Amino acid sequence: MRKGAFLLVAVCVALALGLGSCGDRGSARREGEPGLVRLTFYYPVGVAGPLARVMNTYVEEFNELHPDIEVVPVYSGDYDPTMQKVQTAVMGGNPPDLFIVEISELPTLLAMNGIEPLSAYASPEYLADFFPAFLENSYDEEGELWGIPFQRSTPVFYWNKEHFAEVGLDPERPPETWQEVREFAGKLNRPGRHGVTISGGWDDWLFQGFVRQNGSELINYRERRVTLNSPEAVEALEFWVALTQEDKVAPPHSTWASTPPDFVAGQTSMLYHSTGVLSFLRNSAQFDFGVAFMPGNVSFGAEVGGGNIHMGRGIPEQNRRAAWKFIEFLTTPELAARWSRDSGYVSVRVSSYDLPDMREYTDRYPEYLVARNQLDYASGKMMAPAFQEIREFLKSALNESTAGNMAPRAALDRAQRQAENLLREWLP
Amino acid sequence: MKSDQNDSASWRHLPVVTFLRKKKVFLHLILMAVAAITIVPYVWALSTSLKTRAAVFTPEPQWIPNPMVLVNYMEVFSMAPFGLYLINTIIVVLGVLAVQIFTVTTAAYAFSRLTFRGSNLLFVFFIIQMMLPVHAIIVPNYLTVRHLGVLNTRLAMMLPFFASGYGTFLLRQAFRQVPRDFEDAAVIDGCSGPVFIVRILMPMAKPTFVAFGLISIVTHWNDFFWPLVVTDTPSVRTLTLGLAMFVQQESGADWTLLMAATIFVTAPLLVLFVVYQRKFIESFMSAGLKG
Amino acid sequence: MKNLRITSVFRRSYQPYLYLLPSVIFLILFTYWPVVYSLGLSLFRQSVISPVPVFAGFGNYRDAFQADIFWTVVKNTLVFVVGTIPVTMVIALMMAVLLNENLGWLRNVYRVAMFYPTMIPMAAAAMLGVWLFNPGIGLINYYLARLGVPARQWLYSMDWALPAIMITAIWKNFGYFMIIFLAGLQSISNELYESADMEGAGFFQKLWFITLPLLGPTSMFVVVVGIITSFQVFDLVYVMTQGGPADRTNVMVYYIYQYAFRFWNIGRAAALTVLFLVALIGFIVILVRSMERKVHYEV
Repeated sequence: MRKGAFLLVAVCVALALGLGSCGDRGSARREGEPGLVRLTFYYPVGVAGPLARVMNTYVEEFNELHPDIEVVPVYSGDYDPTMQKVQTAVMGGNPPDLFIVEISELPTLLAMNGIEPLSAYASPEYLADFFPAFLENSYDEEGELWGIPFQRSTPVFYWNKEHFAEVGLDPERPPETWQEVREFAGKLNRPGRHGVTISGGWDDWLFQGFVRQNGSELINYRERRVTLNSPEAVEALEFWVALTQEDKVAPPHSTWASTPPDFVAGQTSMLYHSTGVLSFLRNSAQFDFGVAFMPGNVSFGAEVGGGNIHMGRGIPEQNRRAAWKFIEFLTTPELAARWSRDSGYVSVRVSSYDLPDMREYTDRYPEYLVARNQLDYASGKMMAPAFQEIREFLKSALNESTAGNMAPRAALDRAQRQAENLLREWLP
Repeated sequence: MKSDQNDSASWRHLPVVTFLRKKKVFLHLILMAVAAITIVPYVWALSTSLKTRAAVFTPEPQWIPNPMVLVNYMEVFSMAPFGLYLINTIIVVLGVLAVQIFTVTTAAYAFSRLTFRGSNLLFVFFIIQMMLPVHAIIVPNYLTVRHLGVLNTRLAMMLPFFASGYGTFLLRQAFRQVPRDFEDAAVIDGCSGPVFIVRILMPMAKPTFVAFGLISIVTHWNDFFWPLVVTDTPSVRTLTLGLAMFVQQESGADWTLLMAATIFVTAPLLVLFVVYQRKFIESFMSAGLKG
Repeated sequence: MKNLRITSVFRRSYQPYLYLLPSVIFLILFTYWPVVYSLGLSLFRQSVISPVPVFAGFGNYRDAFQADIFWTVVKNTLVFVVGTIPVTMVIALMMAVLLNENLGWLRNVYRVAMFYPTMIPMAAAAMLGVWLFNPGIGLINYYLARLGVPARQWLYSMDWALPAIMITAIWKNFGYFMIIFLAGLQSISNELYESADMEGAGFFQKLWFITLPLLGPTSMFVVVVGIITSFQVFDLVYVMTQGGPADRTNVMVYYIYQYAFRFWNIGRAAALTVLFLVALIGFIVILVRSMERKVHYEV
């Protein structure tokens, strides 16, 4: 028996050794002194820079202002892992009190019943000060409010002024129409240098802007309509194919992370990318560059991106009240303006831009205003249940077309068929 | 081969050729070329990590950074808790190893020194684990860990590796080489099972333990997929994950910072390897031979 | 007396199993139960849109086969394995044979230089790959241009992204196999070579008739494990391309990952897991059988 006992003890020791090194479990909220409301807050950071530290500073300031509330910030990586974490927590019946996820996830969050409605908390005056385009991804089909805009961006158009001067283009005048993009790119294109780059990775997001510039949309969530293969979308994709295959002035594919350095290295003269890389470009580029609206076709057009802040489903009443206080704190015009300056995101509040600090800042760096001004032409980001999968269908269609493997119409028809098949129970 | 014997080719007698053959110059040239190709990526990364941002974009590759700066490393540290990642990695790696040594030793003892029904079948059961590593069955394993309620802990990162078919296999071979006489003598001395393992078997199989230990450390230090799936927060994440999260930013890749992070993540093991290279290589060799 | 005997027989019989218990618990929990669990999960539809599992029979399998990119993924995985393993093995063997010569102190230098990629994480190797294969300012395109080879778009390109990943994998792995082969070579007795020399055998004859056959049994297992590991390539794809462009680098394990952790379609992911396991096990059986036969003949 001695040996058996030895083994048993050893197993216990081994297990204890493992268990002894557990990490945080996110359940801190259940303990703590009475009267203190503790909130867990998961947030991703989509833009480079020490933003996790910035966020911690805000949270500390909030906690000092509210001695009865303690917000525990948890940096959760990129958007995907954050969504994964939220999903896990919701399924496990222990959702975080507050979290930020990518704005197209709203239908998915609703399908899994993971978030609280916010209409009861948000006053009409409060909401009136948000840029309307940013609010579009906050409402469900019935008009209930589910999320508050926080870290938000749009894509913009960057151009290398030196390259423009070199080929005899006016360095201060970016292309304003698709036709001009094509002409300019033709002039700018050189061996080892692309005239224009439409960044890959989030190319589905950029494509939505092109479709809007062409006067249409891809997915209408409220009316449950999916039109990935509308004539306008096909025409937009044909424009991409003209750049990549006919004129060969744009790379057929690229990755989201490596196109900004390519622009800095002078490997591309014009670039479609998020406003979020502006600070990186400003700090790295050795040449003068400009920022402008994305060129239009029927009209200018863009779509918003980024993350909204949500409240977890089924948290206690006192947590909900405290969580709302924190949401309000993060979205005051003052803090939204600060966050914009710290991060490069667009402030979500209209009145942020009237604050003295912000005025001074935008006077000095007027290029930061481009994304805000473009909001007049912007719409919400497309969304639907199982959006991640639809996104892959669309990206696949885009990539096959720009590589010259499939005609734009055939590719988008395929994506449409795949999406309809996936959403057959959701579509009317 | 005929010409080799009758030496009809007169150039083979030229002094230069003889010299080259004796010194195996061609061998060295080939080996040097391959070694250089293998080393270049890392050296280039190191060089990039010591550059200013602007110096990355020179038209000619600049091998020696001018100016040479450490600022990228400092920035990497301020952007993500790489120190914490390092600690987490060490805890996970040593935790896995500690439990493995226990499970593997007892199992290898049973397979090498005891006779029992079904031992062959059970051994196959252990070996198959090598064919079914956690990557292939990530979904059910993730759900299991979720059911156990340990998601996002260091324990979750270790659990699937507590049993090691490979380690059991290696040690079984090593234990088998300990002569039976030792065990008989030990039994006469009243030295049974566990005591025999600890006093006699383990010391005698020490090189195998070292080899297995090194391989286990390298494997789990470099593991990526499983930790990626079961963790969400930096407080428990490991170095490789920290590195991958670093690239996945919405904004552009900052090559100097990325390379600084890459160098930092790879440096600890590489330094150990260069210092103890003989031990490392011998361990991998002996483990491979038995395999 | 009788009682005592029974106890001792009993002890003798249960004891070995007790020693195996700690390992067996974890083996069952994380290796064998998951296989059964996958089978079960794969029969139910469960996704983020419908979180409550609904029995679907083979519906998930049907969907898996009907998906447009399923066969692309299968093809990519096979191309990766078939393209990397033989090249890795040939380079590794060549280097091992060369290193087995008497090379003086430089031999250690070569060994370290070629083996060090084994010490770095696959994710870090992927990061080096991303940087070196950058089409604009990457080192590879720069030196290719110097050699007069036109620049490739590498990771941006449908045709070159997978080869770029494969090259990275070969770079990372060949040193490991080289060391294993070297160990095998060193265990071959010198006398065999000496007698071959006496009979006037050349370098390649010795390689073909002595080295390779004797290397077989020792390295076979390692090679099998290497092949199995390469079927499960994930880290490189995750870091370098995320499966793109247009799924040209999407491989089986990454595909399963997408369904499980990005689309939250657990049923489909489980079905794909089962299909993958069946293919993998089938492959292993064929491989081991054929290698066994060969080894028996040659030894």
